Amino acid sequence: MPDILNLEGVHFRYAEDNPLVLEDLSLEIPTGKVTAILGPNGTGKTTLLHLLLGLLKPNQGAALVAGKPHRAYSRRELSKLIGLVPQFESIPFNFSVFEYVTLGRSPYLNPFQMPGGEDLDIVENALEVAGIPHLADKPVMEISGGERQLVHVARVLAQRTRILLLDEPTAHLDLENQNRILSLLKKMSAEGTTAVMTTHDPNAAIFAADYFILMKAGQIAAQGSASAVITSENLSRVFRTPIRVEVNNGYTMVVMEKGGD
Amino acid sequence: MNTRNFHRTLVILLLALVGTFLLSIFVGRYPEPFWMPWRVFRDDPLARLLVLRLRLPRLLTALLLGMVLSAAGAVMQMVFRNPLVEPGFLGVSQGAAFGAAVSILWLTSHPLVIEVSATFFGLLALAGAYYLSTRIRYGGWVLRLILSGVAVSALFSAGVGVLKYLADPLTELPELTFWLLGGLYSVTWRELLFVLPFGLAGIGVIYAMRWRINLLSLNDETAFSLGASLGRERLVLLVAAVSATAALTSISGIIGWIGLIVPHIARRLLGASAEKSVPAAMLMGGIFSLVADDLARTLLPGEIPLGILTSAIGAVLFMYLMISMGIKVRNHA
Repeated sequence: MPDILNLEGVHFRYAEDNPLVLEDLSLEIPTGKVTAILGPNGTGKTTLLHLLLGLLKPNQGAALVAGKPHRAYSRRELSKLIGLVPQFESIPFNFSVFEYVTLGRSPYLNPFQMPGGEDLDIVENALEVAGIPHLADKPVMEISGGERQLVHVARVLAQRTRILLLDEPTAHLDLENQNRILSLLKKMSAEGTTAVMTTHDPNAAIFAADYFILMKAGQIAAQGSASAVITSENLSRVFRTPIRVEVNNGYTMVVMEKGGD
Repeated sequence: MNTRNFHRTLVILLLALVGTFLLSIFVGRYPEPFWMPWRVFRDDPLARLLVLRLRLPRLLTALLLGMVLSAAGAVMQMVFRNPLVEPGFLGVSQGAAFGAAVSILWLTSHPLVIEVSATFFGLLALAGAYYLSTRIRYGGWVLRLILSGVAVSALFSAGVGVLKYLADPLTELPELTFWLLGGLYSVTWRELLFVLPFGLAGIGVIYAMRWRINLLSLNDETAFSLGASLGRERLVLLVAAVSATAALTSISGIIGWIGLIVPHIARRLLGASAEKSVPAAMLMGGIFSLVADDLARTLLPGEIPLGILTSAIGAVLFMYLMISMGIKVRNHA
C-alpha cells in the first residue's frame, strides 16, 4: 500500500527567474502518525506544505496522494482528503465562531448548497473535540490568539479529512495553548488521522511528532525517528547556533547554548 | 444571530419593503405635492394612467436597482476581502458612464442604445481592470485589482470629461450631465423590461451562492483547501454582480453609496455571514432606493437627481456608522 503522501525528486521555484526554493526533495509521510517538518525560518517549509496540499505544483518530480498525483482527484475529492490550517489566516469579516467552523463543511456541499442539519451536528462535535463549545457564538475577531488557533483546528475537524496539514500551529502561542493544540494533534493521530506540522521549534516537534523531517535551505538534512534526527550535531548545523539535546527521564529536550562561540 | 431571530428580521424587512412600495405608489407631485389620496386615484383617469404607465415601472426599477447594487456591493466586499469596496470599484460605473456618454453624443439618445452602450463599456472596464491586474507582477490579487480598478476608472473618467468638453452646451451637455448625476426619471415599462433579465439573473446567482460567498472571503490557501475553485467561482459571482450593475446603471446613471453602505448595515444587523446578510442587504437596498427615489420625485417641483440624494444620505449614514458602531477594516492585500 502506498504512503498517504509522498514527494519524489521535487524541484520547485515560484517563477522561472527565481532561485529554487526546494531542490530534489524526496520524502514519505507515514500514515496515521504526526510528522514534524522542522527547520529555521525561510527553508521552504510552507512551500513544502503547499505542495503536499496541491496548491503548488512541482516544476520537476512528483507529489502524490495515496500513490496518485493531485490532479487525479477533483477539487472536492481532494478537499475531503486533506485539510489545512495556514500560518496566517486573516478573517476580514466578523463571523461567529460557529459560522466560521461551518465553512469546514464546504467540501461536502456544492456551490449552491446550504449546510444542513447533519453538517451543523458535525460542527458542534468539532467544537466539542477542540474544547471550545463555549465560544460558538463569539465573533472571531474578539477572541484571543490561542482560542483563534483552536477555532482553525475545529474548522479542519469539521472538514473530516484523513490528512491534516498545519503550518506553524504553535507559533505565537503561550505554553498552555501549545499544549492544547499539540495534545489534540496527538489524540487525532491516535484515532487514525495523518498530521503534518511545520515548526521552527524543536521542542514543539518533539512533544507531538512521531516522525521528523529536518530541513535546511530547501533540502532535507535528516529524516526519521527522534533519535535519528534530533541530535545536537544535526540541530546545531541546521539552526546555525550551538544546540544541546538532553534526555531526562526518557524525555528529549532541546536547549540553546549560551553565547554562540 | 440564531435562525429564529434571522427569520423574524427577514420577515420584518420584507414587510417594510412591501409597505414602502405600496406607500410609494401614492407619493409624488400629482395632483398636488407629496400625496395622492385614494379618491383621486379612483376617480381621476389621468392619475391612474400616471401610476400605471410611469410610477409603477419606476418604482419597480428603483426596487431592482437597490437590490442589485446592495447584492453586488456585498459580493464585491466579501470576494475582494475589503469592506470598503462597492460596485463602482473596478471601473464599472465609470465605464458605463462613458458608454452612455458616447451614445448620447455620437449615436443616439434612444434609451435602448444608451443601455447597450453603457453595459458594453461597463463590462469592458471590468475586463480591462482584470487583464491589467494579471499583468502586474507584485502584490496580492486584491491589491492588483484595486490598483487596476483605480487606473481604469480614472481613464474612463477622463474620457467622460473629454466627451463633456466636446458636447454641445445647449443640447447635449444638459442631457449628459443629468444622466451622469443619476436618476430614474426616464424609466418606462420598456426600459424596465430590458434590464429585468440581467437584474434578476444577477441577484438570483448571488442569492443562490450566498453561503459560498463566505468561503471565497477566506485566505486563498484556506479556500483552496476547502475545495473552492477560486478563479471560476469568483468569476461567476463577479460577472453576475457586474452585468446586473452595468445594466441597471445604463438606465439609472451613476448611483453611488447604496452598494457600499447597505451591506455594512446588513452585516451590523445580522452578522457577517453572507448567508444571512446578503438576503437582508437586498431587502434593505430595495427600501433605501425606493425611499431615496420618493424624495427625488417629491421634495422639489423639479426632479432632484437620485445619485445626489443617495450620496448625501449614504455619506451621512456612513459617518454615523463609523463613529457610533466602528466599521472594522483590516489591513491585508
